Amino acid sequence: MLALVSCDGLFGGLYDEPAKNPFGFVQRDDDNRGGTLCIDATSYTRWTYIDLHHHHIDTANITLGQEAPLEWDFAIHHYDVKTNNGSAAESPFDNVGMAIELNGLDFVADADSQVVIDMSTMMDGYLGYTPSMVNPVLSHWLDVDLSTMPPIYTLSNKVYLLRLNDGTLIALQFTSYMDESFVKGIVTLRYRIIND
Amino acid sequence: MKHALALLLVTLTHFSLLGQNEPSDSTQTNPRLLNMVVVTATRTPRLLMEVPVVTRIITEQDIKNADVPTLQDLLQTELPGIEFTYAMNQQVSLNMQGFGGNSVLFLVDGERLAGETLDNIDYSRLNLDAVQRVEIIKGAASSLYGSNAVGGVVNLITRTTDRPWSLHLGSRISSLKDRHHYGSFGIKRQRWNSLTDLHYIDAAAVHLSDTGDLRTLFANSSFNASERFHINMSDKMTITGRAGYFFRQREKSEEADDRYRDFSAGLKGDFELGRNSDLMISYAFDQYDKSDYSVASRLDVRNYSNVQHTFRTLCNHTVKSPSDTAVILGSLTFGGDLMRDYLMSYQFTDGNHTQYTADAFAQWDWHPTSRLNIVAALRYDYYSEATMSHLSPKVNLMYKLPQVNFRVGYANGFRAPTLKEMFMNFDMANIFIIYGNPDLRPEVSDNLNASVEWSHNQYNLTCMAFHNHVKNRITTFWNQERNGMVYSNMSPVSITGLDISLAMHWSNGLGLRLSYILTHESPEEDGMRASATRPHTATLCIDYSRDWCLGHTTLALNGRLLSSVTCDEYTSYSNLSQFEEITYPGYTLWRLTLRHSFSRGVYLNATVDNLFNYRPNYYYNNSPATTGRTLALGLSLDIDQCFSNCKEK
Repeated sequence: MLALVSCDGLFGGLYDEPAKNPFGFVQRDDDNRGGTLCIDATSYTRWTYIDLHHHHIDTANITLGQEAPLEWDFAIHHYDVKTNNGSAAESPFDNVGMAIELNGLDFVADADSQVVIDMSTMMDGYLGYTPSMVNPVLSHWLDVDLSTMPPIYTLSNKVYLLRLNDGTLIALQFTSYMDESFVKGIVTLRYRIIND
Repeated sequence: MKHALALLLVTLTHFSLLGQNEPSDSTQTNPRLLNMVVVTATRTPRLLMEVPVVTRIITEQDIKNADVPTLQDLLQTELPGIEFTYAMNQQVSLNMQGFGGNSVLFLVDGERLAGETLDNIDYSRLNLDAVQRVEIIKGAASSLYGSNAVGGVVNLITRTTDRPWSLHLGSRISSLKDRHHYGSFGIKRQRWNSLTDLHYIDAAAVHLSDTGDLRTLFANSSFNASERFHINMSDKMTITGRAGYFFRQREKSEEADDRYRDFSAGLKGDFELGRNSDLMISYAFDQYDKSDYSVASRLDVRNYSNVQHTFRTLCNHTVKSPSDTAVILGSLTFGGDLMRDYLMSYQFTDGNHTQYTADAFAQWDWHPTSRLNIVAALRYDYYSEATMSHLSPKVNLMYKLPQVNFRVGYANGFRAPTLKEMFMNFDMANIFIIYGNPDLRPEVSDNLNASVEWSHNQYNLTCMAFHNHVKNRITTFWNQERNGMVYSNMSPVSITGLDISLAMHWSNGLGLRLSYILTHESPEEDGMRASATRPHTATLCIDYSRDWCLGHTTLALNGRLLSSVTCDEYTSYSNLSQFEEITYPGYTLWRLTLRHSFSRGVYLNATVDNLFNYRPNYYYNNSPATTGRTLALGLSLDIDQCFSNCKEK
């Protein structure tokens, strides 16, 4: 029996090895002008700016006072989302590939709000915030119920329509808030540019 | 509620006057049970009445009568002073008379269990259907069992088969849609026997409240399989083998489940060395894994694995009088363990850790007179990663008079810092980091106890006073310099109390058992009452058994009474001068169980849990997780007895 057991345990083959998450545009479907993005949004002190037209991603540290890049379409801070002077609406659809009907959708612009930049004081009963513009509709992609420990995360699974400042319409669907190792703050989303 | 209780008592008494049958064994202090053999107190088989350490027993009949699916339910039903609550993330947490889960050592047939979550073993691993009896030692026992036996030892003794073949099948469902299925198959031949157990529990999610600390209990399902066999190689040599597999899945969210697995195996040889000595050599393997399962991707990613290999040897030598070999002067027990403890954890950032532990112990069990018994033991433990060693002494004395036993004892307990406590470096969701501390000192307790036990015919009364002085308890404190929580040793704590048990069984089949524990825990820091241990707890069991034309019926009413407790809780983790007073309300829970055994090995159980429909106004983590009165029905079959009864007829 001693020969059967390994010093550090048995049955490692029962488990899966988590893939090392590539970040950025992990999948592109240029024919349909769509793809999949994976963003490392684990940090509370960072905005990640996404430019879908040029397939470019940039970051800016809030506490260091870093500025946004010149061109970007939308940005993600942990689970907050803001647009570049655009607006967004929540659709009843659950697939970015579906034909999108705009009638009846209510597009909402970004609004003054605040985002958390310091969680370290949470156990003292408060959080560190900084003022920021946030799109209230896009930020509904994930509901985080902090009233219980651990928090309860609920994905909306809805397709959101992002209307850029130049009129471009983009369908966004957030599909995950964690990676295969269950690290929270790794945001995966599908997108499709509907029209320019 | 009082009226209902009184009515029930009157009803039971009325039925008892009608019955003219043997009393059941369903009491741990039933005088008949004093002739039971126990092993935990001295690591040698001893009659319960002759053990110098007060030992509580939950028998197989108690387990059947309690009709509960889990060990947590059983311990809370049978013993006061035990409270299983929820900690963060709905992990189960034990408080046994002021001692937490990492200060009470749980054993299965004397073997430790690998793995822990928030300082508690996975109690759902412990399959009640395979248990013959539970032996409980309250107080330190590190001189025999080493680390973790600071506040007590709970040893589950598994069943063996005593019939040529046996097949037992059972099922239990509750109004909460919980399901419990189990089965066992045993074979006994002249030279060998084998017993296989299968056990499955599926507990549905339960919504408790919308606003409490506890809101919806996660759905849980677990599967347990075990095999044990014994081979008598000769009259002087027995080989015992075992293997087990455990799997539990917890539906934590829509996206992810928690999974827990355990693989265990063991081989043991018992050898008789002459007429006065015996030797045991064993090897045990236990691996406890945790993994996250993604519902969407179906990936099962392991994030924790604790693997323990333990070699043990134990020798007993009986010393007899040179002039009269029928007179036993005493017995010497000595042995040692060598363990390799490997831990892979998501809470480490510097790789996996391995610790080697070694120990040696000796115990002298001396009978200077027929009335006096003195047991003294000493154990030395060494831990490689903690680079620490510890000496644990104990001495127990028992003086017997007709109908009365006096016991006094001193025992030292210790708990070595775990690999987690020494090497953790865990980012708690960007809130703070929990740092391990390789310089931790071991927790040490000094336990003093004195008891009087009176037994007369159907009456048994035990009163025990105890005092524990616990130094260097390990917990996390806020460290301003590191801006995080750091494992540290605490100031001393004292836990003092009184444990009273009264049991009565009459020949008409009526039994009464009442146990009460008073626990007082001293303040910890600057007058702050940090302990949430309830000062008054009691259990009550009234049972009635009788035979009649359709078989054997047992009706049992179990009550659990817990007082309120007021304590202080920190309102700021970084400023320990800020705390507030909070009172957790007391409550009582009652369970009524009707068990009927038909003559052909068919058993029916019906249980009304939370008989008086108690619901907390607010669900704290230590509130009973109940939504009110529930009903459970169970059916079990001893197939072999059905066949044998048919043949007899």
